[in-house]
Amino acid sequence: MSWKNIKLIFIKELLGTIRDRRTIIAMIIIPLIFYPLLFAGIGYFSKLGSIKSEEAASKVIIDGVEFAPQLVNYLREYEKIEILIIEDDSHAKLQNGDIQAILVIPPDFKYKIEQGEPNKLILKYDATEAKSRIAKQRIDQVIEKYKSEILFQKLSRLDLKEEFLTPLILQEENIATAKKMTGAFLATLLPYLIIILIFTGAMHTAVDITAGEKERGTIATLLVSQISRLEIVLGKCFAVMLISFTSMVLGLFGLTLAFLSGTSIAGGIEGLQFGISINSIFLFFLVLFPLVGLASAVLVMVGIYARNIREASSYIIPIYMLTIFLGIISISQGMELTGKMFLIPVLNSSFVFKELLMGKIYWNHIITTFSANIIIAGIALFGATRLFNKEEVLFRS
Amino acid sequence: MIQVEGLTKIFHDKKRGKIVAVNNLQFNCQKGQVFGLLGPNGAGKTTTLRILATMILPTKGEIMVNGLNIVKHAAKVRRQIGFLSSETGLYDRFTPRETIRFFGRINGMEDKIIEKRMAEIFQNLDMEDFQDVRVNKLSTGMKQKLSIARSIIHDPSVLILDEPTVGLDIITARTVIEYVKSFRDQGKCIIYSTHIMQEAEKLCDMIAIIHQGNLIAQGTLKELKKNSPFDDLEEIFFELINQGEN
Ligand SMILES: Nc1ncnc2c1ncn2[C@@H]1O[C@H](COP(=O)(O)OP(=O)(O)O)[C@@H](O)[C@H]1O
Ligand SMILES: [Mg+2]
Repeated sequence: MSWKNIKLIFIKELLGTIRDRRTIIAMIIIPLIFYPLLFAGIGYFSKLGSIKSEEAASKVIIDGVEFAPQLVNYLREYEKIEILIIEDDSHAKLQNGDIQAILVIPPDFKYKIEQGEPNKLILKYDATEAKSRIAKQRIDQVIEKYKSEILFQKLSRLDLKEEFLTPLILQEENIATAKKMTGAFLATLLPYLIIILIFTGAMHTAVDITAGEKERGTIATLLVSQISRLEIVLGKCFAVMLISFTSMVLGLFGLTLAFLSGTSIAGGIEGLQFGISINSIFLFFLVLFPLVGLASAVLVMVGIYARNIREASSYIIPIYMLTIFLGIISISQGMELTGKMFLIPVLNSSFVFKELLMGKIYWNHIITTFSANIIIAGIALFGATRLFNKEEVLFRS
Repeated sequence: MIQVEGLTKIFHDKKRGKIVAVNNLQFNCQKGQVFGLLGPNGAGKTTTLRILATMILPTKGEIMVNGLNIVKHAAKVRRQIGFLSSETGLYDRFTPRETIRFFGRINGMEDKIIEKRMAEIFQNLDMEDFQDVRVNKLSTGMKQKLSIARSIIHDPSVLILDEPTVGLDIITARTVIEYVKSFRDQGKCIIYSTHIMQEAEKLCDMIAIIHQGNLIAQGTLKELKKNSPFDDLEEIFFELINQGEN
């Protein structure tokens, strides 16, 4: 085995991939330009929408104005509530969005309050309309205010203090630091994203340089050269690894950009603080590389086995689904892996990622994950080389 | 020089079962000679040539290239052969120069020697105008020239050409044949497969006719004509096939 030969194949595959317009679109244009623009656009328009619905005054029809003059006065005083006169078709108007809410006051409103009996108001609104939801909130506020006023009056009549209503207070203190909160937030999402980005990044190239090379008939020329089949497989696999890793990094970078551009326009997020130690970062990569190797080796093996690109794609779909499935399991809350389950590829890495992001280092998990993934990647590479030596696989028609 | 003795290749296909693609072939190909393998589709030409090129292993038989056993010394044999077929594609996203450099390197050549030989070959094949244009922008004729250049960059003494004119227009096909002749004149040993009679007639010094994996006649065109009532290779060919089937 000669590294010089492996490097020749490696560079040839990289050059071919970089010159492929589809790779550039998938690796650079989509994550770095499309995602941020998309998120920024969504953020911009949703903010625009919410400003619009919050600026406008809510049009409210009150059925029974005369029964609660005090409450109606409060509503009138509220700047952004506009009270309209009741009409026959007020329901239709609510449905059409001409008005945002209908408040129904019963005739015995005043009497019941004086008697201290429970009193019921009816608020009709449309929960699917942003403007109507805002009207509901506004009316809620006014009614809350009015309610506490009635309460205080009653309390003072009974000669009781305000504290009478709150004999017990539970004060909560979150001891998690901002760093830990950020870690926990990342731990729910990042492992899944990493896994998906690694696989999608590897897929196209892995198939193109194996099944694609068969399809185009270039593979025969490689076989009649001084390069051994193991060197060909290794060179190809390393190229896929680099492409997969790079597209993962670019993908995460793009998604971060997208997230930031989306939220900064929509209002921003506070308290994000990264606190991952150098050690954890080192361990993170220690677990990441076998995973990248595993994904690349398996996809290269499948690509070599397949007759052509189409067949390869159809083999890869179930593998991809399985990966997504394992990824989803790993982000579901409350799931815990026990010792031996760290032998399950993909799932194991995502749990170790999670632990590291939460600032926990469990050596047994890391070592099991690392070795399991390396061994499976090795087996896949061995299998790929074996396939490459089989004439019925290389020259199937 | 190529010596083939008792070459047999059996495939085991899931659907078709046991396939004897090549059955007990025997022939020699000398330096400065074009040896033609003539036979219809499925005769076993590609299989034979793939074995000679060390891409697949023979089931039986002994094959020597320049005195080296092709199974035992596959790597050394590869250094001495150039392989070209209608199916050997090119990398679309590379230029001719990059292609040739890559193939020179994977054949263990030093960069300085590659550059020198490449310049010569490009001049001989009249390729200088498009040496830096990506392959996907080249015409079929240009691509075939590049394929030829690719197969001779490491200066092999043996050329294995599997139906190199299939799918080419007549002008390009003619150019290919001219180059094959010039390689013969340089003293290379060339084995050339085809299913086109006229090509074999024009080009080959020796012709082996194979049908369903069996060698049914072998000799120079003259010898073949002498042993047959017919005067035309096509007639000879069909007569032999009919004889074989009866
Ligand atoms: N890899 C393979 N597996 C099974 N059968 C094969 C394989 N390659 C060739 N054959 C069969 O061997 C016979 C000879 O094929 P081939 O050498 O390609 O003929 P030719 O090149 O003369 O057209 C055909 O019947 C073909 O189907
Ligand atoms: Mg053929």
